[in-house]
Amino acid sequence: MTEKYLICEDSLEGVFTGIYDAYALREGHVHNHIQIGEEENLRLFASYLYIRPDCVKTKKVAETIQKRLGTEVYYSICRALATQDAGKGQAVYQTVVDGITNGYGRRVLEHLTNPFVELLFRLSRNAANEIHHLLEFVRFEELRQGILYSKIGPKCNVVSFLMPHFADRLPLENFVIYDEKRDLYGVHPAGGEWYLVSGLEEPVGESAPRSEKEEAYRELFTMFCQTIAIRERKNLKLQQQMLPLRFQEYMVEFVKK
Amino acid sequence: MELRISPSMSLMEKLNILGDAAKYDVSCSSSGSSRAGDGKGIGNTVKAGLCHSFAADGRCISLLKILFTNECIFDCKYCMNRKSNDVPRASFTPDEVCELTIEFYRRNYIEGLFLSSGILYSPDYTMELICQTLYKLRTVHRFQGYIHVKAIPGAAPELVSKAGFLADRMSVNLELATADGLQQLAPNKHRKTILKPMKLIQNGIAQNKDELVLYRNAPRFCEAGQSTQMIVGAIPESDYQIMSVAESLYQKFSLKRVYYSAFVNVNEDKELPALPGGPPLLREHRLYQADFLLRFYDFTVGELLTQERPYFNMLIDPKADWAVRHLELFPVEVNRADYQLLLRIPGVGVKSAKRIVAARRFGPLTFEDLKKIGVVLKRALYFITCRGRMMYPTKLEEDYIVRNLTYQKEKYPFSPDGMRYEQMSLFS
Ligand code: SF4
Repeated sequence: MTEKYLICEDSLEGVFTGIYDAYALREGHVHNHIQIGEEENLRLFASYLYIRPDCVKTKKVAETIQKRLGTEVYYSICRALATQDAGKGQAVYQTVVDGITNGYGRRVLEHLTNPFVELLFRLSRNAANEIHHLLEFVRFEELRQGILYSKIGPKCNVVSFLMPHFADRLPLENFVIYDEKRDLYGVHPAGGEWYLVSGLEEPVGESAPRSEKEEAYRELFTMFCQTIAIRERKNLKLQQQMLPLRFQEYMVEFVKK
Repeated sequence: MELRISPSMSLMEKLNILGDAAKYDVSCSSSGSSRAGDGKGIGNTVKAGLCHSFAADGRCISLLKILFTNECIFDCKYCMNRKSNDVPRASFTPDEVCELTIEFYRRNYIEGLFLSSGILYSPDYTMELICQTLYKLRTVHRFQGYIHVKAIPGAAPELVSKAGFLADRMSVNLELATADGLQQLAPNKHRKTILKPMKLIQNGIAQNKDELVLYRNAPRFCEAGQSTQMIVGAIPESDYQIMSVAESLYQKFSLKRVYYSAFVNVNEDKELPALPGGPPLLREHRLYQADFLLRFYDFTVGELLTQERPYFNMLIDPKADWAVRHLELFPVEVNRADYQLLLRIPGVGVKSAKRIVAARRFGPLTFEDLKKIGVVLKRALYFITCRGRMMYPTKLEEDYIVRNLTYQKEKYPFSPDGMRYEQMSLFS
C-alpha cells in the first residue's frame, strides 16, 4: 500500500481538516501522514494530497474531539499545535486515532507508550510552559492614550492563550499583546471582547510615545527588584535558570534604557 | 514617639527603604486563591500562583513585598528595623501603597501586594493603618488581585479579623522554633502573642468555610490560608526541633505553609553567630525538602529525624537518607507497588508517581518508559525493578548507595560558593 501524505497548512484549521480528510479516505490510518507544509525531498512511491483548510470540517473534528476525548485532551491538542515541531500534525492525528478508533478515549494521554501520544504530550507541555511563563513575564507599557502595550517574541504561537487571562484580569483596560515573531496582535478594548489582528501595515506600539508616568514606574519597579535581592544569597545562575534570557530581553526590569 | 520621617521623601526613596526592609520575609507565594475578576475592577487570582520576576538571588518576585513602615518600638535582635538601630526610617501613606500596587499590577509586574510592617506607636495603631490601606485598595480601587498581609502580634482581635476579610493570605511569624529562643532574641515578643492571632486566623478560616456552605456569597476570609516563618541558625535549635514545630503547626493550626529562613546577621550582633561562610543555605534547603515530604509524601517527622539523630544528613537529601536506612523495603517493583510506596522511591516525585499509576494500566512499563515519565533513573535505579529486573546489577548496600548518590551532583537552589560546610557543623 502506498504511503499517503496529507499536506496541511500550519494552523489548527489546517490540521483538523487534514484529520477529517484522512478519516474520509477510509483506508485505515497506518499509511497516512499529516504533514505541515511542503517537504523538500519528495518521496518515491508516495502520494500527496494537498489539504485546503475548511471551517465546516474543522468544526466537526473539534466537536468530535471534545465529545469523545474530553476538553483536557482537546486543549492539549491545541497547545501542541501552537508549537513549531514538524511532527505535531502527525502526533495529533495519531493521538486522535488512538483515542477514538483504538478506544483509549479520555485516557489517551496516559497511553505514553505510544510514541505519537508521547510526542503530543511533550509538545503540549512545552507550549504550556511557555504560556505559563508569559502569563508571568509579559510586561505592559502605558502609551500616552492610556493603552497598555506589550511586545513578546515567543517560540510557540501563544497570543490566543494569553488573551483570556489578561482580559479577565484587566477588564477595564485597553491593552494589546504583540507577537513580533508572527506579526500578530491580540487586542482587548476596555469593557469588550478580545480579538486577533495581523498584517497591519506598520507596527503600532513600538514607536508610540509612552505616558508621562511610564518611565517613573519602570524605574520604581527596577529599583524594587534590585533591593529585594539578599546580597548574601546572590546567585545569578539560579536567576537565569528560573528566568531564561530570551524572556529577559522583553522585560522592563532587565532592559537597560 | 516622634515620627522621624521627612514628609518630602520621594516615593522612590520610600520604596527603596521599605522594600529593602521587607526582604527577609521569605514568602512571596501568590498561591491558594482562585478567583475570576468580576469585570468591574482590576485583578484576579490563580490557584497555583504566578512569579513575575526573579531577583539576583534567584528568588521569585511575585508580590510587591513592602513594609508599611520600618519604624518600630520593638527591639528584636535579628532585625534591621529594631528600635536600637540607627537606620533611615520611612512610612508609606495608604494612598501610596494603593498607587504602587495598582500601577505595578496593571503592567503585570506583580501578582499583588505583600504588606508587612514594623510597629508604629502600638500594634493596634499599626494594624489599623494596614486595614485602612487594604480597605481602600479593595473598595476604592476595586483591586481583586492577591493580598498577603501580616497580623501584627499584639493587635486587637477585631483588627486582625478585619484584615482577614480583605486579604487572601495572612501570616504571623513564629520567628524561632522554641519559646526560649524567642525570649532570647525578641524580648518584646511572646510566644503567646504570636500563637493567639494564629489561632484566631485559623478559627476565622474554619468559620468562614461553614458560612460559605450556607451562603455562597458570604465574604471570604483568607481564602489562601495562613503561613508562618522560622529563622534557621540564629540560635542552636536542631532540625528535629524545627521540623517537629512545623509538623504541629500544620496539624494543630492548619497552616498552608511554613517557611524557613537561613539566618543573615544583618546587625552584626555579637550575641548572634557571625556566619563567615554566609547564611546556612544548605541546612535551609534540607528543611524545605523535609517540609515537602511532610506535605506531599505522607512522611512524618519521626520517620526522618529523632532525638538521637536530630540533624539532617548534609550529603544526601532526606528522602534518600530515609530510603538507605530502610533497604529492607527495596527494591520496589514499579509495575505493582501502590502509590504510597512509589512516592517513597528516591527519584520519583508526586507527578511521576501519578503518571506511573496511570500509564501502567495499559501494560507493564520499561525503564525507557519511566524515563519519559520523568523518573530520575540515576537516583531511582538502586531502589527499583521493572518487570522483575534492576536496571544494572547493583548492590543493595547502604554505604555503596550513599557513595553513589553523593557522587552525583545534587542540584542546589543556591550557588556552591555561597555555602560552607563549617557552617553546618556549627551546631551539630
Ligand atoms: S517587631 Fe521585631 S522583627 Fe518586627 S520590625 Fe520590629 S524589631 Fe523588626
